[in-house]
Amino acid sequence: MVARKSVLARTISTPIILTLILLAVAGLSLWVNNGIFTRTIVEVFIRVMVVVGLYTFIGNSGVVSFGHIGFMCMGAYATAWFTIPPAMKKYSLRGLPEIISHNQLSFSLSITLATLFAGIFAYLFGKILVRLSGITGSIATFAMLAMINTVYSNWETVTGATSSIVGIPRKTDLWTGFAGAELAVIVAYLYAISRSGLALRSARDEAIAAAASGVDIARERLKAFVVSGMILGAAGALYAHFLGVLTPDAFYLGLTFISLSMLVVGGMNSLSGAVVGVVVLSAIIELLRTLEKGIAIGNQTWALPHGTQEIAIGGVMIVILIFRPSGLTRNQELSWSGWPFSERSSRQKSSIKDGVSEGASA
Amino acid sequence: MTESLTTENVTVTFDGLTALSKVDLSVPKRSVTGLIGPNGAGKTTLVNVLTGFQAPTAGRVTMDGADLGAKPAHKIRHLGIARTFQSGRLFSDLSVVDNLEVTGVGLGLSRRKASAKAVEMLDWMGISSLAERTAGGLPYTDERRVAIGRALMLEPKYLLLDEPAAGMSAEEADDLSRLIARIVSEIGCGVLLIEHNIGMVLKTCDDIHVLDSGKIIEVGPPAVIKASEKVRHAYMGTQVETEGEVL
Ligand SMILES: Nc1ncnc2c1ncn2[C@@H]1O[C@H](COP(=O)(O)OP(=O)(O)O)[C@@H](O)[C@H]1O
Ligand SMILES: [Mg+2]
Repeated sequence: MVARKSVLARTISTPIILTLILLAVAGLSLWVNNGIFTRTIVEVFIRVMVVVGLYTFIGNSGVVSFGHIGFMCMGAYATAWFTIPPAMKKYSLRGLPEIISHNQLSFSLSITLATLFAGIFAYLFGKILVRLSGITGSIATFAMLAMINTVYSNWETVTGATSSIVGIPRKTDLWTGFAGAELAVIVAYLYAISRSGLALRSARDEAIAAAASGVDIARERLKAFVVSGMILGAAGALYAHFLGVLTPDAFYLGLTFISLSMLVVGGMNSLSGAVVGVVVLSAIIELLRTLEKGIAIGNQTWALPHGTQEIAIGGVMIVILIFRPSGLTRNQELSWSGWPFSERSSRQKSSIKDGVSEGASA
Repeated sequence: MTESLTTENVTVTFDGLTALSKVDLSVPKRSVTGLIGPNGAGKTTLVNVLTGFQAPTAGRVTMDGADLGAKPAHKIRHLGIARTFQSGRLFSDLSVVDNLEVTGVGLGLSRRKASAKAVEMLDWMGISSLAERTAGGLPYTDERRVAIGRALMLEPKYLLLDEPAAGMSAEEADDLSRLIARIVSEIGCGVLLIEHNIGMVLKTCDDIHVLDSGKIIEVGPPAVIKASEKVRHAYMGTQVETEGEVL
């Protein structure tokens, strides 16, 4: 009988490789050394948080959520409430309780509280939603998104309704963005290798057998729902401090669609897929955005028509769904022992197929 | 008080169709109870009732004297009633050892402890070589054995096997018989064995219940079942083979 290496020892190469990828992205920004490009990279880091957060629930549970951007909205507005200078919010957000409107919290404390705020609502919504599976569950999460959006679009004195609220300190720079993305990756990794992560993936494969193995599926789903809701909340808070200005419609269908596309393109069931999906699709988007603006050839400017970007993203997603439904990573994790883009999956199908690589003994 | 898993007067109807009708069945600890009957007799439905997957329309289930009430399936497993499925239902994306580890984790162990128990169990069953294989790609017989290993994690009190020998060769079925004997003698489980391989059932079981159209039509030790007119009648037309003779 051979003792088995611990799950951490078997899988640790995945978060290390993902960290290296994030560092490379940050390095690219330093190398280009251009303000606008750096902002693009910060946005990429926030996207990484969003998509990694989505993966934590969707990838492990197999239930597609259309609602998580709602938690991002909550995190963003919460940090706005806490950090806009009292002189401004006393007038613009008259409905806030005094303790909030008279005080201004530090960046890090505010982000923490905003994350918890999103987590509390994820728990409350999750209590109800986790009992639903498959398409029913997905539609219910969509209803949740619509509810959240409606509240934030109408509660004039607390959210400013559809007019934008301003005065949020712009604190999210390259390294805060990087730290956020890195933290999201670490939390998602730790969840995936936790007892709850394993139990939830078993239920994703075979719900009936999971219950027969003693797994309380609703309870494990709720844990994942809260963890992912909190990652989204933190992403929203960092995004608020990146933009400085908020409107509720920034957290609605457009962002939901693009983030889910990134997850699908990368590979829904793997953490590596979430990161790879963001990096690849962001690169394509950036390229097309540049081409839409136009490039000068001789004394003529040549440009793609506006909207090419959106159409191309849709196209990429459809092509991936047809030719590689398990995403660019084939739902496997990046690890030392192989490279999922090459021969790994056919050669040693046994080792790493699920969530974080479970049996990478090679 | 005898230790047993028991149904009392259990009836299950699916809008109009009576799948089980006033079934009394008892699975004592440290013995093998057989459950045979033609397809559609209600055998799987009975296992579903015993494991919390199907609420009985009437009647109740008790374990060692205590009413199980309307507990959900995962809680029933925590009480020590484990099962396998006719269709296998392994976690196909997970490795074999992780399939077993899920039960350990589901029952509250840390991953480290669950993993160690899983390795031990595979060793006990003599299938350590399968540990790192992906469950989805296993041959049929191995799949069955892994499913039994997964159910046996942390030594349940009762183990319900739904047609575990289906599709096995005679030798493989013999191996399975020996495994079941070890499960009873070494782990002390009460085993319920559902099987169409009547030869195996007669050889392996201490007591056999015969179910036909939702009713228990005969109960007794193998010799009684072998001789029963009613059983012969129920199986008419299906011609179930025993070793050499037609039951
Ligand atoms: N969930 C269900 N809904 C409706 N009918 C069912 C359901 N489960 C089983 N049945 C019916 O109950 C009867 C008994 O089925 P089952 O217990 O699977 O038989 P067996 O395992 O003995 O072959 C069959 O007629 C089957 O069609
Ligand atoms: Mg059956």
